[in-house]
Amino acid sequence: MTTPPSRPGADLEVIDLTRVFGAPAGSPSDAPVRAVDRVSFTAPSGLLTGFVGGNGAGKTTTMRMIMGVLAITGGDVRFDGRPVTQDDRRAFGYMPEERGLYPKQPVLDQLVYLARLRGIAAPAARAEVLDHLERLGLAGRAKDHVEKLSLGNQQRVQIIAALMGSPRALILDEPFSGLDPAAVESMVELLREHTARGVPVLFSSHQLDLVERLCERLVILKQGQVVASGAPAELQRAGAVRHRLVVGADAGWVRGVQGVHAIDVDGPEALVELSDDDAAQLLLTTALERGPVHEFTPVRPTLAQIYREVTA
Amino acid sequence: MTATTNRPQTGATAAPEASNGVGHGNRGAWLIVMNREIVVRALNKSFLMGLVISLVMIAGLTGFFAWQSSKTDTFTVAVTAGDTAALAAVEGADDAAAEADQKVVVEALEVADDDAARAVLEEEDADAWLQSGEAAGEASGVESGEEGWTLSGWREPDSGLSQLLTSTVETQTIAANAAEAGTTMDALSAGATLDTQRLDGNAIDPQVVFIAGFVLAFLFYLGTIGSGTMIAGSVIEEKQSRLAEIIATAVPLRHVLAGKILGSSVIALAQNLLFAAVGLIGLSFTDLSTILPSVSASLIWFVVFFTVGFLAVAALYAVAGALASRTEDLQHTTGPVMFLLIGIYIVTFSAEGVLEVVLSYVPLTSIVSMPVRVLAGEALWWEPAVSLVIMAAFTAASVLVCERAYRGALLQTGGRLTWRKALAAEG
Repeated sequence: MTTPPSRPGADLEVIDLTRVFGAPAGSPSDAPVRAVDRVSFTAPSGLLTGFVGGNGAGKTTTMRMIMGVLAITGGDVRFDGRPVTQDDRRAFGYMPEERGLYPKQPVLDQLVYLARLRGIAAPAARAEVLDHLERLGLAGRAKDHVEKLSLGNQQRVQIIAALMGSPRALILDEPFSGLDPAAVESMVELLREHTARGVPVLFSSHQLDLVERLCERLVILKQGQVVASGAPAELQRAGAVRHRLVVGADAGWVRGVQGVHAIDVDGPEALVELSDDDAAQLLLTTALERGPVHEFTPVRPTLAQIYREVTA
Repeated sequence: MTATTNRPQTGATAAPEASNGVGHGNRGAWLIVMNREIVVRALNKSFLMGLVISLVMIAGLTGFFAWQSSKTDTFTVAVTAGDTAALAAVEGADDAAAEADQKVVVEALEVADDDAARAVLEEEDADAWLQSGEAAGEASGVESGEEGWTLSGWREPDSGLSQLLTSTVETQTIAANAAEAGTTMDALSAGATLDTQRLDGNAIDPQVVFIAGFVLAFLFYLGTIGSGTMIAGSVIEEKQSRLAEIIATAVPLRHVLAGKILGSSVIALAQNLLFAAVGLIGLSFTDLSTILPSVSASLIWFVVFFTVGFLAVAALYAVAGALASRTEDLQHTTGPVMFLLIGIYIVTFSAEGVLEVVLSYVPLTSIVSMPVRVLAGEALWWEPAVSLVIMAAFTAASVLVCERAYRGALLQTGGRLTWRKALAAEG
């Protein structure tokens, strides 16, 4: 591994972040809902962090709190090792959950407008917008009204809005939904440029294969709580390791071995979960006593399996 | 290498305010928002259509008044041959009209007999038929010797014509009677004249003041509702599309609100100045051109009052937009403001007396009532200034309250909000 480039960016940390949606006054029957419950994770500088979870798991609520769009009930958002400030957030690129731009304004005009609001001078904003449009294949649509674009193209415009002006962190809610594979690739390439200069990128998605392929870090949310987080490989190692055993005759006997939990037995083949290394040794010795052993291998779960298990 | 990477990177140790990244100390954000509001509005087709229609209406109305006041009405009055008294009366009426500068010409049309007179009335060759004394008696079958005059028309004779003829016949008859009694009309009416004069030098017809009140109230209504609805629409557009979230994380929301309010105020001001200019130019072509200076003074006050007061109305509309959660909610959330404005419109154009004096000090109604009092010459020189200070204070207070409500409501999703909730929000 080469020496990592000096990182000008900073980590984005979320510590015990909690959001309770209170019962509306006058309706005592509705109990307050803890949409996000003591969520903690880090989106490290220079890495892509994937944020996954089912609908209503609290991804959007967490991201809105990070951006200060939604008030925090409890916990902290830290940037660069200290509590995040409004000034920090103004330097973050943000893509909200629901898509929308000014439908009746040309693409170029509104991107320049949004860039200028973030303090970029008009000529620089224009150059940067045109460059991004070019890279996402929208150069010819700069003067079109947004409402005339397809949903996928509107999505690209929206992403450009978040990437303007060298943001210090990127918080993107479902940035890839609705994009074709080619668009996903050019998007990822763009995001990599930002991670390369040390920016933490947090994005939510429910396309697990994509997250597995792209992310250096993963945070899985379920009912407002973090159920798993870390690098995908770590998560795979941390997951309960299973073993496949193939013997000469029927393997039904494995059910009686101590420390062995048989998940599936099919003739001479068995899929088992072992409580510890002793159990593994015991299983193997017993099998050899009974006859030939054709196969004894660990089976690593895929991310999709882990996801299904932790969110089940 | 993209444009995103050619910016000097700031170290993790750098204080955020020292960074060259985005979003720091963007103090001109309100100006950028304001520019956008103005440009988008100025290019909006329905706004431009409305503007053109309003201008055409104003030009058309003043043109109509100009034509109305400059045209000369000609009446033809039939007189039966030999009815010399009637002929004299018609000629006298024409002279009297010319003398009073009434732009009315009365022509006599001599006809042979009563049947011929009826015929010309039916054919509409004459507007009326005047018969004097005995002739009238015979025609109507009343016994001869009965004194009196008759003005006949195929339908009801024109009221202006009949008034003119009535006073002429009266004058002539009194003159004749006076001569018979050995005296003159002047002698009889000597010392019976009453002159009115006003000492402030303001000579505005109350009718003009009333019309001006109506027009100003209408301009107020048109300007506030039109521009206000636009602001509410632009706020909900951003809220519904979550652009508000992107913008809110980039710049302070008070900049956004200030930009929106100022932008639409500039538009509303420009629109009013345009209307006023067209109206005044039109007015200068009419007989009312003599009162142009007083009307101009009143209009200038109106524009000043409107500009200050509109800031408050714009802020209210911005909150109404932020309280909604979808465009469909706007009707509901802008309802109370609309109700208030319609109320102001109705109250101000019909107010008089003490009520008008009070209204000329109450914020928002003073936008219409004070300029009307200025036009009527009722307001002392310091009154508009005091009223303006009161409204400025009101505007400042409303904008502050609205700013809080706007910030509280804009980022809250999930259903329509109330003012109470918006003001209580932590946001």
